[in-house]
Amino acid sequence: MKNIEIIQLVVSFIGSLCFGILFNVRGKKLIAAAFGGFISWGLFLLISCVISNESITYFIVASIVSMYSEIMARVLKTPATPIVTTSLIPLIPGGSLYYTMSYAFESNFDKFIEKAVYTLQLASALALAIIIVTAVSQFLFKKVRIK
Amino acid sequence: MEKLLDCVMDLGEQMLICGGEVHRVEDSLKRIFSVYGTKRTDVFIITSSMVVSIHASDDKAYTQTRRITEIVTDYEKLHKLNELSRNICQNMLSADEIKEKLNSISTGKVYPIWLEFICYALIAGGFTLFFGGKITEAAVSLLIGLLVRFIILISDKTIKNRIMAKFISSFSATALSFIALRLDIVPTVDNIIIGNIMTLIPGIGLTNALRDLFVGDSIAGLLRTIEACITALALAAGFFSIAFLMGGI
Repeated sequence: MKNIEIIQLVVSFIGSLCFGILFNVRGKKLIAAAFGGFISWGLFLLISCVISNESITYFIVASIVSMYSEIMARVLKTPATPIVTTSLIPLIPGGSLYYTMSYAFESNFDKFIEKAVYTLQLASALALAIIIVTAVSQFLFKKVRIK
Repeated sequence: MEKLLDCVMDLGEQMLICGGEVHRVEDSLKRIFSVYGTKRTDVFIITSSMVVSIHASDDKAYTQTRRITEIVTDYEKLHKLNELSRNICQNMLSADEIKEKLNSISTGKVYPIWLEFICYALIAGGFTLFFGGKITEAAVSLLIGLLVRFIILISDKTIKNRIMAKFISSFSATALSFIALRLDIVPTVDNIIIGNIMTLIPGIGLTNALRDLFVGDSIAGLLRTIEACITALALAAGFFSIAFLMGGI
């Protein structure tokens, strides 16, 4: 394991923890969310060894992390959204958004469009994964759910 | 019935304000009213407005609307409101009981403000390292993160315009990174700016927006998408103005 990867794993835990605090997530839910951040980057590193397409990797990681969040939400009796959104913080394409901006600034339009589309792809991969898992889990947990 | 509608509207309004999704709020309200035996319930909710109309068992119709102007994400509150709505469905609480519970929720615990400062600093510094920055860059980024939170605090109290506040934060974060570059403290500004963008980015907004769209809440989704795009534009505008002033990246 490279140094940078260890740093990234630590930061993904702290990053999710800090965002959790900013969103006023408390107690066990906060720990679950921070650990979710750690899982999402850990999985990303693992899966990107096998699959080179980042959008697909994002989709797979986001699906697994959403499942984790749905399960934690049921265990802690809370909505899943806070846990999903905070857990997926390390996957937010902040870097590629920045490069999109800086290519626009350099008037390098080929690269600008490439990066812009790429950023949108990553965001859609995250959103799609969350929706699919939410829909499936609502179907699965329907009988268990308190109405 | 009118009193009940009033406090259930309050519940829905609070849910939206603290960051509840549109379909969650719609779903909760429909369930609550069905427990109280309404003949028909029409709920229309987007992120900035609610319209609810119920036909009571005595054939009278009641309608109320609410305007939601700001969203302050507070997931602990959402958790409690969600519990309350389940509680209402199970125990058929009276209007006064609901009102009382709502009041106790609205004075819930929040983290102290200094902790938010530390979080901003840690996020900015941490993500600078995350994207491959050096220790010195991370340290600079950490300080800028602190200042950005401070600027947000001031702009919240003075201008009260979210988009403008984002512009000013991005403007000052970029300016400070360029000053650090000119003073030869850091070799490049890229990773410092990326670290600070992470605290300002509408990433969660965009993901939620896309999710609303895919789920079928098209209007709410479009509103959120546009909001996320404008926020991103404000960030970019702050970045561009400094980059122009400083003559290139």
